[in-house]
Amino acid sequence: MTKHPITLYINGQEFNVFVSGHHTLVQVIRDQLNLTEVKVCCGRGECGACSVLVDDSSEPSGRKVIDACLALAAAYDGRKITTSFGLAKDGVLNPVQQAFVEESAVQCGFCTPGMVVKGTAILERNPKATEDEIRFGLEGNICRCTGYVKIVDAVQKARDAMSANK
Amino acid sequence: MENSRILPEFDLLLPASVAEAVKMLSVYKDKASVMAGGTDIIVSATQGFVSPYVISMAKIKELDYITFDKATGLRIGAMTTLQKIADSPVVQKEYPALCKSAAINGTGQTRNMGTAVGNIMRASPSGDCACAVLALGGTLVLQSAAGTREVSVDEFFIGYKKTARKPDELAVELKLPPPATASKSAFNRITRTTLDLSKVNCAVSLQMKGETCTQARIAMGAVAPTTLRLKKSEELLKGQKITDELLKKVAASVAGQIVPIDDVRSTAEYRKDVSGVILKRTIQTALAQ
Repeated sequence: MTKHPITLYINGQEFNVFVSGHHTLVQVIRDQLNLTEVKVCCGRGECGACSVLVDDSSEPSGRKVIDACLALAAAYDGRKITTSFGLAKDGVLNPVQQAFVEESAVQCGFCTPGMVVKGTAILERNPKATEDEIRFGLEGNICRCTGYVKIVDAVQKARDAMSANK
Repeated sequence: MENSRILPEFDLLLPASVAEAVKMLSVYKDKASVMAGGTDIIVSATQGFVSPYVISMAKIKELDYITFDKATGLRIGAMTTLQKIADSPVVQKEYPALCKSAAINGTGQTRNMGTAVGNIMRASPSGDCACAVLALGGTLVLQSAAGTREVSVDEFFIGYKKTARKPDELAVELKLPPPATASKSAFNRITRTTLDLSKVNCAVSLQMKGETCTQARIAMGAVAPTTLRLKKSEELLKGQKITDELLKKVAASVAGQIVPIDDVRSTAEYRKDVSGVILKRTIQTALAQ
């Protein structure tokens, strides 16, 4: 099998790795680069635990959310990727992460990295997202503990905090 | 069923242009599958179904576009994501059925990866974009080393997950005709949860003159081995004023035209019962626009 030399820019850091064609992005991020904040659960694009942001110049924020389990790493050669770890800047949590802490929107915590990435993506696309829009947006991220109420509350709190800071 | 998060091995090919991809397909033919967003192919691979070669279109930048011209209609490149289609003002305004079928397809993540052309190429009987495009009367543009040909969506779905695409052909574009004056379209589906594939989906495209329907195209999915045109229901609408009475007749005409099965998402019996109602509601949605 052909090995592909690829470069990934994750949270601003450059990584050069060799990957096989069938290696998924989440597999490379976790197993080769040891960035285990990206979780892998269903492996088929249903649960959103592996959500990451990738660069996309057509988006106003310059990035969009994808499932890293459905992405082949070699096809993402050269792309800029942000994980939940990269959402924080200089040790300061981003508004969505901060709101998850304040609202206790975390129970076992396994879905949380994907949830904060998805919540950030929702608000970057639609800073005025209503509760319904947030709930629709969170489809594709599964939490088996909380019943989602606190998660939805947290994203709304983040929305309000972000608009207050503008 | 085997279901692993570690994919079986295959060779990944990453052509940088359509010309290069077509050349690869002319060599590997049915040993290769073509991947756009990967949201179908990778899921199949987790269950062990994968071809020895996968040709990813990820590096082909030239296929990411939506263009619209009043005279010639809409053109969507094969790498245009579902989210971009759902966000497109012209698709929202002129092709509501396609817009809805893209906007509700999968999740935010998979809409940012998957494509409408990929949904059609998959030829799953429950494909939502495939259903909308069948109602809107689209055309697929296929390119091979021998040249380019266009296939009407009416001739495209030839069997369960089987299309008229030849193994050396690359689907490069989806074309939709310009919407006629006073044409209306809508898409509707039922699922158990919003992430599910459709139990039944339905799309209609109606040309209206006042309250009279002059032309109708109706497509329904997940009720036969392929997405179906409901031509008998179309005939009932043609030239008629759309009244509640007529809609009852149209709804009653559906069950005889479909051959649904029992599967993991629903039963044949339920699909027969509900399909007429879905069609009636889809027509009402289209007319309300």
